[in-house]
Amino acid sequence: MSEADKNLTARFPVLERFEETNRSFPKTREILEFKAAGKKVIGWLCTYVPEEVIHAAGALPIRITGYNQEMELEDGTAYLYINNCSFSKSCLQLGLRKEYDFLDGVVGGSTCDGARRLFDLWRYYLKPPFFQVLTVPRKNHERAQELYYHQVAAFKDHLSEYLGVKITDQALLNSVQVYNESRALLQELYDLRKLDQPLITGQETMQVLNASFRMPKEQFNKDLRELIADLKQSNRGFPAKARLMLIGSVMTNPEFIRSIEELGVIVVTDELCTSTRYWSDPVILEGAPGPLQAISRRYLNNFPCARMYPSTERFDRIVKLAKEARVDGIISENIRYCVPYAHDIPLLSERLKEENLPLLTLDVEYGTSGSGQIRTRVQAFLEMVEARK
Amino acid sequence: MIIRERQKSRIGSIARACRIVGRMNKNDPDNHKSELYHYDMLATYFERLQKAENEKTPIAGHTVFFPIEILYAMDIAPLHTETVTLLTALFMGNPTDYLAAGAELKLAPEICSPHRALAGAYSLGIFPRPDVMLWSNLICDNSAKSGELIAEMNQCPPFFLEHAFGSSTEEIDYLVAEMQDLIAFLEKETGHKMDWNKLSESVERSDRQLQLLNEICELRKAVPSPLYNRAYLESRAADQLFAGQPEATAYLETIRDELKEMVSQKKGAVEPERFRIMTLFIPPMHLVGFLDKSLKSHGAVSVVEPFFTYWEECRLDPSKPLESLAKKYYAAPERRTLYGPLGDETIRTLVNCAREYKVDGAIYYAFIGCRQSNALIKLFKDELNKIDVPVLTLDIDLVDTTVNNESEIQQKMEQFFELLEDR
Repeated sequence: MSEADKNLTARFPVLERFEETNRSFPKTREILEFKAAGKKVIGWLCTYVPEEVIHAAGALPIRITGYNQEMELEDGTAYLYINNCSFSKSCLQLGLRKEYDFLDGVVGGSTCDGARRLFDLWRYYLKPPFFQVLTVPRKNHERAQELYYHQVAAFKDHLSEYLGVKITDQALLNSVQVYNESRALLQELYDLRKLDQPLITGQETMQVLNASFRMPKEQFNKDLRELIADLKQSNRGFPAKARLMLIGSVMTNPEFIRSIEELGVIVVTDELCTSTRYWSDPVILEGAPGPLQAISRRYLNNFPCARMYPSTERFDRIVKLAKEARVDGIISENIRYCVPYAHDIPLLSERLKEENLPLLTLDVEYGTSGSGQIRTRVQAFLEMVEARK
Repeated sequence: MIIRERQKSRIGSIARACRIVGRMNKNDPDNHKSELYHYDMLATYFERLQKAENEKTPIAGHTVFFPIEILYAMDIAPLHTETVTLLTALFMGNPTDYLAAGAELKLAPEICSPHRALAGAYSLGIFPRPDVMLWSNLICDNSAKSGELIAEMNQCPPFFLEHAFGSSTEEIDYLVAEMQDLIAFLEKETGHKMDWNKLSESVERSDRQLQLLNEICELRKAVPSPLYNRAYLESRAADQLFAGQPEATAYLETIRDELKEMVSQKKGAVEPERFRIMTLFIPPMHLVGFLDKSLKSHGAVSVVEPFFTYWEECRLDPSKPLESLAKKYYAAPERRTLYGPLGDETIRTLVNCAREYKVDGAIYYAFIGCRQSNALIKLFKDELNKIDVPVLTLDIDLVDTTVNNESEIQQKMEQFFELLEDR
């Protein structure tokens, strides 16, 4: 960490707390305290799993992710073979090494091949006491909404039976309120990134986002509120030679963004399943027959992952975000063997070209902090971006 | 998204190549009647496509495990993108050209090679332009994603047929409704109406074909086992290209009769039969001859492919054609493993197959482009090792000939069969 970074962080105790949570993940103080109180912790994977249902059951939903940095994945590779994505391998390796042994259950979605296989092996080798994989349609027409709603309802019943608690509509409404508040606060934080001189860097934002799915939401909301207030009162502001957007595969390592921002640019928005695709759309209760229907609709209609059809919806939303944040260029980081995102590149490139938005595609491994080669490619991209200004 | 200046497609050349290979096999004293039929069937398939291209009747590009019974019943020529790419690359001997063209489209090398190659082949104008592009999420992310690009490249209307992940009644009904939407889409885009009688007949034949496939599996339990090694690949082509068509029934009946005769004469496909092999996933087509020879030289015969040729017991009802087709695609062996979810039943099938077919060892073709198959290698090895069945893993690519090293494969096979010998 550079001196300048230390000074920046030191001004915001919340960021330091978030960093500590992320450093100690999976076994964070918050999770261990929750467990010590005799309550259950359920691990979820993929943004199509409705966290509110777990929360309404009185359990703590925790997102399963891999190591915080790029690691040797001997066990992950031995079990998932060489050609599965390093995210799946990283998650499985943590599981095999008992780093997730505090989990009382796991729930995933049938989202991509890597996730599906990760769950197959998790079930077979780790034998979690509660296990469910939801069918998540790739379309979101009415029939798909109906199918997904029944999946969510079955999940609610299954979880309710396992935990021995009734998940009431009132409990769901309370959870929706907590989660929607979190989404609104993150939107407020992202608005601070849209300023001419953003008040928070991309790498700091990633620390916030990581913490958001690794601690009780109520506590996170309280901390984030404090951070936003502190940022607004600060005299911060990051001038940069270029404003960038980050898109692509799952990513949790802020060091990767730091390696880009160290080149004198700032990441002002993003489209990742750990960022906007996780939090951007609220649950809308108005017009829904009940809270569970509203929740299931929100999750299926949320900012789409590359797995969804048609891809144009994802592309449209990327363009919209890019324009709102006035970005000069877009970096797509694609984890090797993350096939849905890799398949999108030809059509996405064409689309961004039409929108006059330069795109750099980087093939990376999950957890990468940015190699010399990546920096060189980003530097060359920035030269091109600057020349267009 | 640009396709290079479109010349006439190469489909006619491929049809001719199939006829030539068929004639060459005819002169081979070791030929099998079923194999001659196989090449005849392939030639018919490509000739039908050529005719549709020439006469400008509708062609539907579609990905793997697509209910082509629907297309035949609507008089639309199916073009199975993955199989046609593999066969074309094999016959034309130029897979690297297709892969290079796929790379030009910015498709990453980690994407499964048949899908990179098929996009490349389309961009080179090898295949006729489809009037509609159809695809589904059966069997992987690659098939779920590749259709949009192909449709865009060809500027043709797209349809994505979605299979739900699980197998509850609601999820099976979901597929039925998707097929209804598919029919409405095809009627609108091609002007061809669904002939429901034709579809029922097709489903009736598909039912017959599934029973024949099961009969063939049963006959292969015999010691010695009667099916020559490459035939299991060829038999799959019947379903992929001619599901529900008379050609597939005739072909499967031919194989079944050959096997019956061999079993009654206690003749094996490989003599003397020394090792009975379970095949997991599939070998590349361009290595089939080499592998065939290699297995034969060790007295080895593939007796079962649990997740390729071994269908679940499934009966189709022609009076409920769409429900039956949904049922059929749920019973497909590849769906159980490659698509999942991987349940205990699938693992039991693996173990039961090893026992019932008296398997000595298994060969796992680890195709670098197939993530969901390779992610099961360790799990399947663990299960098979529990019942004392060793597994050989061979890293291969289905399209890229430069990945496969024959001498390395040969060496691994030697070691594997030595190990089996020692046991």
